[in-house]
Parts: sequence; structure tokens; C-alpha cells
Amino acid sequence: MKKINFLRYNSTIIRTFCKCALVVVGLFVLSGCTKNFQNMNTNNTGILDSQLIPNHNSIGLYYPGMQQNIFGEENDYQLIQNLNSDCYAGYYMSPNPFRGNINNQDYSLVDGWNSDIYTVYYTRIMGVVQTIEKKGTRTSTPDFWAIALMLQVQAMSRVTDYYGPIPYSKVGQGATTPYDSQQSVYNQFFTQLDTVVTTLEAYTKANPGAEPFANFDMIYAGNYTEWIKYANSLRLRLAMHIVNIDPITAKAQALKAINDPGGLITVNTDNAGITGFGYHNPIWLIGTSWTDLAVNASLTSYLNGYKDPRESQMISPATSPSSIAGQYVGIRSGTPVSAKPGYNGYSLPNFNNTAQYTPMYLMVASEVWFLKAEAALRGWTTESAQTDYETGINTSMSQWGVSAGSYLTDNTSTEADYVDPQTPSTTAPNASIKAVSTITIAWDAAATPEKNLERIITQKWIAMFPTGGWEAWTEYRRTGYPRLFPVVVNNSGGDISTDLQIRRIQYPSTEYTGNAAGVAQGVQLLGGPDKGGTPVWWDTNKGQATPKNF
Amino acid sequence: MKKLLPLILLVPCIAFGANSHQKARVATRTKTGTSLNVPNAAAIKGVVKDETGTPLAGVTVAIKGTNTGTQTDVNGAFTLNAKPGDVLSISYIGYTSKQITLGSETILTITISSNTKSLNEVVVTALGVKRSEKSLVYANQLVKGDELTAVKTDNLMNSLNGKVAGVDISPSTSGPGGSVKVILRGSKSATGTNQPLYVIDGVPMTNTSNYNGQPNSTYGGSPDGGDGISNLNPDDIESITVLEGASAAALYGSQAANGVILVTTKKGKEGTATINLSSSYTNNTISYKPDFQNEYGVTVDPTTHLKGTTSWGDKLSSPVVEDNLSDFYRSGNNFTNSVSLSAGSELAQSYFSYANTMANGVDPGDNLKRNNFTFRETGEFLNKKLIVDVNTNYINQKIMDAPGEGFYYNALTGLYLYPRGQSITPYKQNYEVFDPTRNLNEQNWDANEDIQQNPWWIVNRNPNFTNRDRLIVNSTAKYTVNDWLNFQIRGNVDRVADSYQQNDYATTNAVLSPSVSLHPPAPPLSNGSFTMNQQTLTQIYSDFIANFKIPLKGDFKVDGLVGASITDDNTVGEAYGAGLGLYIPNIFVEQNVVTSNGLASASSNVSTLPSNHSQIQSLFGSVNLSFKNWAYLTVTERNDWSSTLSFTPNDSYSYPSVGLSLILSDMTKLPDVITYAKIRGSYAEVATPVSQYTTNPINSFGNAGSVTFNSVYPNPLLKPTNTKSKEAGLDLRLLDNRLTYSFTWYKSNSYNQFIQYTPPASTGYTTGYLNAGNIQNTGIEMLLGFDAVKSSAFRWNTNLNYSFNHNKIIELNPADPTTPVVLTGFGNNAYESVLATGGQYGDIYGYTFQRNAKGQIELSSTGAPIQNSTAKLLGNPNPKFQIGWGNSFDYKHFSLSFLVDGKFGGQVLSMTQMLLDSYGVSAASGAARDAGGVVVNGVDPSGKTVTKTDAYAWYSTVGNRGGIGEAYMYSATVVRLRSATLGYTWPISNSAIKSLKLSLIGSNLIYFYKKAPYDPEVTMSTGNGLGGVDVFNAPSTRNVGASLDVTF
Repeated sequence: MKKINFLRYNSTIIRTFCKCALVVVGLFVLSGCTKNFQNMNTNNTGILDSQLIPNHNSIGLYYPGMQQNIFGEENDYQLIQNLNSDCYAGYYMSPNPFRGNINNQDYSLVDGWNSDIYTVYYTRIMGVVQTIEKKGTRTSTPDFWAIALMLQVQAMSRVTDYYGPIPYSKVGQGATTPYDSQQSVYNQFFTQLDTVVTTLEAYTKANPGAEPFANFDMIYAGNYTEWIKYANSLRLRLAMHIVNIDPITAKAQALKAINDPGGLITVNTDNAGITGFGYHNPIWLIGTSWTDLAVNASLTSYLNGYKDPRESQMISPATSPSSIAGQYVGIRSGTPVSAKPGYNGYSLPNFNNTAQYTPMYLMVASEVWFLKAEAALRGWTTESAQTDYETGINTSMSQWGVSAGSYLTDNTSTEADYVDPQTPSTTAPNASIKAVSTITIAWDAAATPEKNLERIITQKWIAMFPTGGWEAWTEYRRTGYPRLFPVVVNNSGGDISTDLQIRRIQYPSTEYTGNAAGVAQGVQLLGGPDKGGTPVWWDTNKGQATPKNF
Repeated sequence: MKKLLPLILLVPCIAFGANSHQKARVATRTKTGTSLNVPNAAAIKGVVKDETGTPLAGVTVAIKGTNTGTQTDVNGAFTLNAKPGDVLSISYIGYTSKQITLGSETILTITISSNTKSLNEVVVTALGVKRSEKSLVYANQLVKGDELTAVKTDNLMNSLNGKVAGVDISPSTSGPGGSVKVILRGSKSATGTNQPLYVIDGVPMTNTSNYNGQPNSTYGGSPDGGDGISNLNPDDIESITVLEGASAAALYGSQAANGVILVTTKKGKEGTATINLSSSYTNNTISYKPDFQNEYGVTVDPTTHLKGTTSWGDKLSSPVVEDNLSDFYRSGNNFTNSVSLSAGSELAQSYFSYANTMANGVDPGDNLKRNNFTFRETGEFLNKKLIVDVNTNYINQKIMDAPGEGFYYNALTGLYLYPRGQSITPYKQNYEVFDPTRNLNEQNWDANEDIQQNPWWIVNRNPNFTNRDRLIVNSTAKYTVNDWLNFQIRGNVDRVADSYQQNDYATTNAVLSPSVSLHPPAPPLSNGSFTMNQQTLTQIYSDFIANFKIPLKGDFKVDGLVGASITDDNTVGEAYGAGLGLYIPNIFVEQNVVTSNGLASASSNVSTLPSNHSQIQSLFGSVNLSFKNWAYLTVTERNDWSSTLSFTPNDSYSYPSVGLSLILSDMTKLPDVITYAKIRGSYAEVATPVSQYTTNPINSFGNAGSVTFNSVYPNPLLKPTNTKSKEAGLDLRLLDNRLTYSFTWYKSNSYNQFIQYTPPASTGYTTGYLNAGNIQNTGIEMLLGFDAVKSSAFRWNTNLNYSFNHNKIIELNPADPTTPVVLTGFGNNAYESVLATGGQYGDIYGYTFQRNAKGQIELSSTGAPIQNSTAKLLGNPNPKFQIGWGNSFDYKHFSLSFLVDGKFGGQVLSMTQMLLDSYGVSAASGAARDAGGVVVNGVDPSGKTVTKTDAYAWYSTVGNRGGIGEAYMYSATVVRLRSATLGYTWPISNSAIKSLKLSLIGSNLIYFYKKAPYDPEVTMSTGNGLGGVDVFNAPSTRNVGASLDVTF
């Protein structure tokens, strides 16, 4: 009897217990507890692709980002251009002793800086172009596709000129990405520019005045006829890059560009500059807020020696130390700048003209005139090389709002010596140096083509300041001009010759860790060690003492 | 579960109902206390003593089955109205309860014995479950509330420092209200938190900081965001139990992988009504200063004759000793007052407390005000079958002018680097001067550098304000079905509302407070800036547990629990103005923030912070099997569902634990000297999910309406990190419990670390996440306690704790073994903190001297050392082992206790010293100049041996911000007198005052050993990074004061 009671009592409890357990388990299973998990784990301040359908944002909004990433915002611009080619081109030198003066500016290549180049160009441009392609843009909106290709060529031409062989044709197709030879990359550029020009010419013919890209255009406000000029001018620039290594292709492509009915960038209103969409001039920011840049001694030495009318518009005088206050004095590349009170008072860009929203120019009309001058000098066209040269200078003068005066006939002024008042008193070796160039300004029809080429490239170099450091370094390596001061201190550990100067940038370590097979093939295609001293494909001058361009 | 939540939220309502019921009961009890309506009762007097004859104060004496009760006074005496036949129930924490049936006697002497002897001590374990100490299969350490409150500190976790083996506690450098880094048995997670889980009364607590969080670079910036544990009122805490291992915590799930700190709070006690007043005051002064030189003055430009910012100038004709630091630092103080009221009958107990903390930091302007309100009510219903317990806490904390950490917004950079030989006083009096061209006051400081400003400008013109309002409501209902089954349902809401504001006045340094181009090309104007953020975190936790004890006859017993829980964290907030500027100077209102200044990456003056919403749902169970009360086996299993792993197939995962303990002293006959011996061993796994949003990367907003398209490589196979840990231990009590010894060995391996990697850029993605790696921690912990003297007049207890931990990074990303996980990047400075394969957690990397084959330092032609361009391992900041030695002495009414502790091994980097050297203000830079240069074993570019090199060339290179860290590594070993108290308990006893105790207290009193130029224990960040680096860290303070404790 007692036992039965116990069992009955127990079974009640067990039943109650089981019911409770069932309720709990049921709550989990039946109410689909985890069904809100995906919602919770989606960032509510992010944007889903589906939310971008209105206003064609799902394609168009990719373009402002791509355009501004050709230069990058200030931190990217600083790493990918300002502390790299801007310095190697003799435009800038930082007064800030980054990494204790052991950095790219004195040839100790910083992997973290160089990795950023790949990050910016592959993730924010190449990757984006592929995304745009995957959305069917090539067929649905071919004009948008043409702009995407144009931006890709513009951006990736910078990358290949830094490194040589790069991943290009096979990007985004697998876990490892094969490298293309630089020659192959250039040939692809020319083919892609064909697509750009024919597509846009067909579109403007079919839809005169239509500007569907206006909402996303940071360069030409949707005007495709300007984009065609830009595409032709870029073709001319790229053609000239390869003139020493592949003169036949170079000439053919140059003539294709010059003879295209769409025309070239010839006046300053055609200049291709990035502005708008909240993008601010990174040079202005780095110079004013971060005080991380000053102009280079090479630049001030030429402008001083030439008594260049553009000088006061381009740059501002030094403020300290007092011995140079009021003069235009830059800092020589590779100067150990740690000494206090430092180099902060040296010449800066003139921030009234390189201001907060001043466009960042990818290409200016004067550059195109100098390219045409070189084409004429090489006998490819019947134009007068001298006229093109002088038009180039005048176009640049007018870009800076000054007149040339007697500049074009000045046949005596040459680069000035450079004196650094702070050496050798605090640091050695002495940064002061005698002028390395004897080239004058005035065209000399009697001079050798080599001499006149030096004249053209030197003037092109001045004209491409303040944003054209990337192209200026390419042209310096191709032609050997303008003659630039070597680095004061060389921390490359023997990888890069002080006299021959730096020839390229090393591949980022992320490629060695994440794309080892690809980069190994890249180094093989490069034909030399993956160092800053190895010349790229088109670099036949290799920094030799006497450049040979003819 | 959704349906369960409203149900749980009902519980507080029920509990408050119980509370109103309770008020009436308290009133009744007061009446009975007068004994007017109990005709046969007579006054019974008695004394309660321990086994040594020492009177015990505060012992609860109650008449069973009634509401009548009292507590003993300081002499152990009590008076109670009772009648013969009543059963007196005598209870006291740490002692075995006793029941005495009254006879005719009216004067009693009652002896109770400490329950260490009985060894049936009850320990609060996971989920608030009470278990006998014998049955525990893992190590745990208990710290009683009075140990925490004896010497009050800014953050109550600091009071644990040195007292518990296996716990590494590092206070932050950010003054009152700063957070604390607590690491139990070494860091385990590469990217997630390594701090333990805090659990209050069985419910996990959020230890959240405000939106600022912790600094993540040597630049620092905004002050420490505080932590959650520091908000609590230490006087509310009954005890803290530290469960270092994962097995102790398997039932808490993911968050407990780093160990658990269980906080048990006070509640009203049955049969007593007491009021306790506690007041404590400490005076805090900096306990060390850097060494400065006084012989050489400011650097003067030879051509301009302008003064520079460094002190590499000419030798002063007579040394000018300026103690700039004394002009700046003040005496800080901490004044804490609390009152608690506790009362209870058999059926309901109430506890109310209020605490007020006012603290001033040693930095002028820095102050904290905190108010804590606690109300706890426990009620018993349905013939005691239902117990409802509701605990409500409201906390308000305001901090003003918390000092900046790192280079930015830190007053100490300007203060320390100010050129020697000249007085800083003019800059103190006139930290701003009128600028007629702008018609406003502008900052008065010579050096225009981002890393330094006028110290008083920072204090007065870069003020910051932190406010926290926090409400914690915790309710439990427990229903006992019978003696083998009970159900418990619990709900907890913790709502933390934080706001932070920083006002930068016009002419604050441009890097910190951007200038605004209102009318380009007019030059940009420094108009000041305004940063504000507001964030509210709501954590809802609830669980349901069924506890069972299967009634078995014989030697085997089985008990256990099954349960389900849900933890839901949701943080919402907004941020304003960061990185922008102001239209009109010095008006700190949102409307005045410019919409875009074209600077930096600041995109918008208002931004919605991502709502961090995550949820974990769990089912768990635990079964304990015991045999003859000397063998205990515990098995647990838990399954979690985590929202952060949604979009993967791995959002449901489970993990087990198993453990065994054997009471050798009960198994067999041991020598008499051994009172108790236990061995234990356990194995546990804990899985920790990945960070939020990483399984579903999407696009985000960029500048001015632009879209930043996703650049994170989507990994659909992310899974949780899995920590597998083993431990084994031994507990011994010898010599009739006078000597206790405990030993634990452990080893834990954390696999599948959540690691960020950089996919090759040619993939089009910049960031990827994967699971890989293995971080191992092995170590031992030992505790030794000895009641050295145990007479009735004099008692001396001494105890020693020792712990050793060795961390090893066995593997990270196997596809990329040479790339470390960077905790803190260089950012152009000299310090990097990483996890590298083969290294230890938080290894410090930096630059070294370039040496020739003979080991000589290579010098440039100026005599400056040449720096290696690749960073190398310089050391690891974690202590190798720690020792704490505590002593307490009681002699009659006096008590004295002190704690000495040491952290041994490890190296730290002082960037402060680097900068003091390179600016030429340090004593070392002066001495080197006096000596004609720095003594080196060097070689010049021509290969000639150099024995002495120019002081300026040397120090300006090695001490540069990106300089040679190798020269600035110091031993992190530090041994100190952590705390000391001297107390006197007044021998008074009357109806009004039950006890009165006055103590002299002190903490961080003496450094017995310290070789680093700062206190290597303090940390700039309580996150994973910035370990072992001094970037103008505020000096530790020496705290001396008094406390008063009165019980009515």
C-alpha cells in the first residue's frame, strides 16, 4: 500500500517534470528561436545590395569610390604616392622622420606602405570593375562599362609602372592569381582603350547630349566627349612609355591617339581632375593638417635656377630656419630629418592654389603638348616639336595664372645649386649639392634630339607638379630626365644604387604569403630579383649616367 | 524563448508584491521585539564564542519559528526575550550553525565551531548552485567581502590584487573610475576578450565600457571607457569566488572560457535588524617621478636664436632646479560613505544600501562622483515552497576630466618635456593668452607638436565628461516541489546608459581638433571641436533550471540539474562631431558642428552606431554522482546557439566537461597530522563564437553619401574557438586545520582562434577571417595558509599564494605562419604588441641596434647608432610567476594586517623614458653630457672602435618616437607592500551601537623592488593590446587614509 502510494506520488512528479521539460524544449524548437539570428547578425548601419537599386546606385555608386581611389584619400595617397614616387620624382620630401628615417624615401622599402598600393588598386578598383561587370553592365549600360574600363586602365597603368609584371588578366578568377608580363599588360591596356573610345563615340553619336553618368562623375560631370579626349591622351602617354622597348607599337598607338577624331586634351578646361563627392585634396591635408610634406630640393633648384614665373604660385617660401626664410628651399630626398627643430619650415606647396577642394589632376593639357612634342621630335608627326613644346609651357603658365614673359627665350638659366642650411651642422652627410643639370629652357633647334628631349621632359616634369609625381617618376626612369639629386642617405642595404636611383617598388609580402605561385611567376617575368634596383620592362635606360633615348 | 521572456519579466512584479507584504511583517516584528505581548518570555543573556574562546561579534541568534532574533555585539554578547522550550538558532558565516533548546537558564555561553572542521562548507558554484566543497572537481578561491572593503580602491577588483593565486590584475592609468585588466590563467584568445565573466548572484553581468572602449595605439586619445565591475558598491558584496578554470564554468558557456568571478551580494538576514555605516577616506599621492636633469637648458637655434622644444641647449651657469611636476600634480583623494539597512523575518528579508563615492585624481580637474542604491527583497511563500528574490541596483557615475592615455590629450607629455632650467609657472597661470587678431584666448605653449600641449590647457580647455546610468534588476523565483526536486526561473535586466563628451576649445592642436576652412581659400581656422557619443546597452538574461536529487538508497547518490538560458545583448547609440570642427568657436552644441570639413576620414557630424545585437540560447545539464561521500564525479554538457554564427552551418555547438574528486581522508585512514586530503581532476571544453557581423559582411556608408562596398572576404564556414583545458589538484588540511595547502596544475589549449588575415589583394578583398591556431597556457597555483598563533588574546594568520603561467602560441594561421596577429601596431612609434607563432601572448616587438659581427653597435658618422630596419622581439610583459603574502594579527581590540605581493619576470618598454631622453630632459641625458658622451661599445663607419659617443646624437636617435626600443626595455618585476591596515575595535556595547571599528589604511605603500621607471603593473589598456608599455602613463599613487565602520 505504502509502496503504491509512493509510486503514484512519484509518477505525478515525473509527469510534472516531463511537462516542464517539454515546455522548455518546445519553446526552443517550436518558436524557431534562431530565426532572428541572421537579422541580428546583419549590421543595421550597413547597406544591403538590394537597398541600392534606386537611382542606379547599385552600379553608379561604385564610380566615385573608384575615381577617388586612383589617388586615394590622404592616408592612402601618402603611402602609395607621396612617400613613394612623389619623392623619387623630386617633387616632395617629408620633414617627418617616419620610422626613424628608415623608409621608402631613403630606399628602405616599407612593406606596409607598399602593400597599400595593392590594397587600393586591386580591392578598390580592379575588384570593383569586376563587380560592375558581374552585374551585367557590359551589355546593359555599355557607356558605364567604358568608363569602368577607362578607370581600370588609368589606375592599373600606375601599378604596372611601379612594379613591372602584375596580376591583370586573371584577377579574381581563382585562389592564386597568375601575373602577366608588363608587355602583355600594356597590350591589354591598348585593347581596352579601343573599347572605351569606340563605345563612347558610338554612344555620343546615338545619344547626343545625353549625360547619364553625371551623378557619379568626379572628372567631367558626365560629358563623354571629354572622356574620349582623356582616353586618347592616356593612350598617347602609355604609348610613349614603351618607346624605347617597343618603338613600333609605341608609334602605332601614339598615332592612333593623335589622329582619333575624338581629339586629345589640349586646353586646361579639358584637364582630368578628381573633385567633388566630398573628396578633398590630399596634398592640402597632408601639408596643412599633418605637416607631413615639404617640396623637394630638386624642384626648388630647377624653379629657382629658371626663375620660373610659376614658382610662387606652385610653392610657398621657407619660413625657418631664418637663413632661408623667404627663399624657396626644399628638402633633398633621403635627408635624415630627425634633427630638431627639424625641417618643418621648408618650402611647401602654395596652399592657396593647392587648396582643400582643388582637383587632383590625373592629366593636364600641358602634358599632352609635351607628349606631342616628343612624337614630333621622333618624326612621327609633321608637327613642329618646338611649337608643341612652347605651347606646353604656355598652357602650363596659364594653368597657374601667370605669363611666360621671356621664359621661352631664356637660353642661359639652368638648375641652381642646392644648399641645405641645416647640414652638415647637425647631421651628415651633407645634403648640400651642386646642380646636376645644365639644360636650359629655350628650344634649340640645333641641339641633338637627346638634348631637346631632356628639355621637353624637364618642362613636362615642372608642368605636372603638384599631382603628377607618379607619371613623373615613370618618365624619369624611362628617359633619365630631368636630372635629379640622388638620395642623401641610402638605407637599401645595397639593393638600390644611389647613383642609378630607385627603379621600381618591391612586391608586397601579402603576395608572397597569399599568392606565392603567382608572385614567383611575376619575379620570373621581371627578369631580376624583386628589389628596388631591378628595372621594369620598358626601363631601358636603367639610370645610366648618359641616357640614351634615340 | 520569445514567449518565455514576458513571463520572466513578470517575476520582478511578483517580487515587489512580496515586498509590500514584507513591510507589514517588519512592523509586527518590531512590536514583538518589545516582548509586551509575549507573557512568559524573559530576558536571556548570552555570549557566543569560538572554539578558542574568542567572543564573536555579529553572530545571528534567533528563536526558531518566530520573527524574534538579534546579533551579538562586539563582545559576543546578546540579549533576547525567550521562554523555556524555545529553540535558539545560532548562525555565523564560516561557522557551523547550532541549535539550542532553552531550559531554565537565563545566562548562556555558547561555543560554535568554525565549519572548516566539518568540511561541509557550502560553495556557490556556476548558476548560483550551492554545492559542498568536497564535491568540487576544480579549484576555487573565496575572498570575503570584508577583505574587499578593508582598503577601498577605485575599482573593487584592485582589492583582489595579490590575494588570489592565478589572477593577474593590472589597473589602468586613467584615474578614478578606470577599468581593470583581469587575466585568469593567461590570455587565451587572439582577437576576442580575455577578461573573465563576472557573475552576480548567479547571473552573468555585462562588464561593458562606454563607446570609447580602450585605446588601441600608443597615441591613445579618448580616456578609458571604464568597466562594469567598478560600478558596484563593495559594501554590498558578501563574497567573491574566483573560478579560474574553464571546467568551473562550463555551465556558463562561451563567456566563461576565461574563467568566472562570482560575486555574491548581501541580503537581509533572518531575525536581525541592523544598520551599518561605513566611511573611508584615503589621500593619494604619486609614488614616483621621472628623473630630470637640471644642468642644461633649452635648445636655441644658432641662427635665429629662437628657443626650440628640447633641452639640448648650453650648460646653465648655475643649475636651476624646477620641480614642474609639483606645480601640476595635486593630492588626490577618495571619500566613500555607505549605509546599509538589513532586516528580516523568517519569511521575508530586506536589504537596502546607499553608497556615495567622491574621488579626485592626482591630475587636477579629474574627479569621480558615484551613487549606488541597492534594494533587495527576499520573500518566502506557499509554506516556504516558493522563494522570490529581487535585487535592484541603480548606479549613477559621473567622471570629469579623466586624464588622457598615450600621447594625445595627455597633460604629462607637455609637463615632462617642457625644457629644463626654466619655470613652467607662467604657463600654469596663463595657459591661455588673448589674441587680439582673433579676439579670443588662445593656447599659450611654445611647442607646436601633436604629442604635447600646455598641461593646464588640456585640463581646462580640453575637458571631458563621462556619465553612466545603470539599472540592474535581478529576480529569481524558486519553487521546491519536494526534497528531491526544485525549479528555478530567473530574469535579469542590466541596462547601461553611457554618454561621453569632449570639448576642445579653439587653438587646441590641429591634429586633435581640426581646423575648419569656412571660406576657402581663406586659411583654415581652429575653432575647436566637439565630440559626443551616447550608447545604451541592454543585457537580458534569463534561465530556467530544474535541480534534482534522485532519491537512491545505498552508497551512491545522484543529483544534478537541467536548464535552458538566453542571453541577449543589444547596444544602440549615436556619435556626433568626431574629427570635425566648429562653425563658431567654443560653443559645444551639436548644431555648431560643421557638416564636413573635408578632413581625414570623418564623414558625417552625426552617425548611428551599429546596433550590436547578439544572442546566445543554451540548453545545459549537469549530473553529479557520489559514492560514500568520498568520491564525486561531475559531468556537464551544454549546447549553445549563437546569433553571431548565423549564416554558417556552425551556429549550434556543444561542449562537455567531466571531473572527479576523491576525499582521501575519508577513503582510508591517514596519519593523524592530516585532517583532510582531497585530490581532484577535470577536463572541460568551452566554445566561444566569433565576433559580430563577420559572417555576413555588407556595404557601408562612406563620405558624403558615397558607399564603401564590402571588402571583407565572406567566409561561410566560420566556427567557434574551442578551449580544451585540463586541471588536477590537491587540497590538504594539516595539524587540526591550522595548516592548509592547495595545489593545482592546469593546461589549456585554445584552438580555432578567430584570426583576421589579409587575403592577397588580387582577390579584390582587403580583409578575411578564418579559424586556426592553438594558444596554450600551462601553469600551477599554490595556496598555503597557517594559523601560526591561535590563542585567545593573540592570533596570527599568515598565508601565501603562488602562481606560475606559461603562455605559448603554438600555431596561428598555418597558411601564413610568419605573419603575426598584431594586437597594437607601430603607428610610426617604437612599440608593437603581437602574437607570433612560437612566441607568447603580447610579445613586444621593436627596433634594435645594428651590430657588427663582434656585437659592437654600428654608429653613423655623427655618432648616432644605426637602427635595424626590421622589428625584432624585445620581450614579453607578462609576469612569469606571482607571489602574494598576507598576514593578519589580532591582539585584544587591535588588528593589523598587511599584504606583500610580487610579480616576477617579464619586460616592459618605456616610451616615456625614450622621449625624456630624446628631448634632453632626463637625468640620463644630463649625466651623459656631463661625462662627455655616452659610453658605448661601438664602431664607426670606418670600422674603428668607439667607446664614447655624442650624447645628443645618441639620445636623439635611440629615444626618438620610432627609435630603438631595445635600449628601453626594463624588468617588469615589482614587489610591493600592497596594503596594510591597523584597526581598533571599541569595546563598547550598548543598545544603540553594536560595534565600532576605526582603521588606518594604506595601499601601494612601498616598492621593495622596482627597476622600471614606472610601475610596470599598470596598463595603458585593459584590452588585449598595449601590454607592457609606458606612454606617459600617470604614475601610480600611494594611498593612505582611515576608515570607520559602525553597526547599529
